[in-house]
Amino acid sequence: MHDIRLDFGDILKRQLELAERNFAYLSKHNVRAFNVMGAIGSGKTSLIIFLSRELKEKGYRVGAIAGDVAGDEDYRRFREAGLVAANINTGNDCHLDAHRVSHVLEDFPLDDVDILFIENVGNLVCPADFPLGTEADIVVISVTEGDDMVRKHPKIFAQTDVMVVNKVDLAEIVGVDPARIVADYRRINPHGRAVLTDARSGKGIDELLTVLGL
Amino acid sequence: MHEYSLAAALLDALRERLRERPVPGRVRKVHLRQGELLVLSQEALREAWRILTEGTELSGTELAIETVPVRVKCPACGYRGDARYLTEEGWHFKAPILSCPHCGGIVEIEQGRDLAIVALTVEEDGQGANR
Repeated sequence: MHDIRLDFGDILKRQLELAERNFAYLSKHNVRAFNVMGAIGSGKTSLIIFLSRELKEKGYRVGAIAGDVAGDEDYRRFREAGLVAANINTGNDCHLDAHRVSHVLEDFPLDDVDILFIENVGNLVCPADFPLGTEADIVVISVTEGDDMVRKHPKIFAQTDVMVVNKVDLAEIVGVDPARIVADYRRINPHGRAVLTDARSGKGIDELLTVLGL
Repeated sequence: MHEYSLAAALLDALRERLRERPVPGRVRKVHLRQGELLVLSQEALREAWRILTEGTELSGTELAIETVPVRVKCPACGYRGDARYLTEEGWHFKAPILSCPHCGGIVEIEQGRDLAIVALTVEEDGQGANR
């Protein structure tokens, strides 16, 4: 037996290159894009819709891409909210990737939007390994999932720019202290920004817009 | 659960490479390098590899996975080296912190997202089984 060294390309490097290409393409069209990752049912779609309403009042044109394993529920909600929208069904994949997003961007009317939210598949594991080429990565969780989400999924929280803890209006009812979630996040990600929101009443939305530089 | 798609990508790339440049003998082991930032399960990756290689010339090959630590570069103070890890009690596994161990600045990742085949262990049996 003997070993043969291979000068094999890194298969995830290709993803990184595609993400950089997406970023350049979006920048060329003067679009600022945000990758919205997070848990299933944490309120990603509601949050994007609330943010869009506020952004429209500020004069921005907003678009959204809905990423789901199957169905067009989120896409239809975006359309009903008046957003320029597109839908991606991943089939069986548990995350979006730069390649899939690049194909949607080709057909997306980028010249009609200033801000683009890309809602990833609900999942706190896999999306972390696949950069999409956005300006910032946002991870959304809600208090109803418990106060140990950061500890259970440290890698995604270590790598994202902003953590949103949604449904804070329910914190007391479900017996969760949002401060514990924020403290965990600060330890794993000293540069990340944490924002507490309630996407129904709009609590925390202004702060989130400021954090995103919008 | 993106281990299957990544295992499939690794397998496709390796088979293409072996078609272009066959190795003299039978491949027994495939050596991988995996960065510690990846949220990949090695068990799931091995199982995916076992299933996906069935019926191919790589059936029965073992995946030898070497994890490489996260290395960072700090634009503020110039630090280059290993990232700090959060290993305190109560945390479920070794989690890297993307902050400069020296000055606390925001760092760039130099290593830690890798997933690559780095070597093959080949048994010369004179049959050229992987040709």
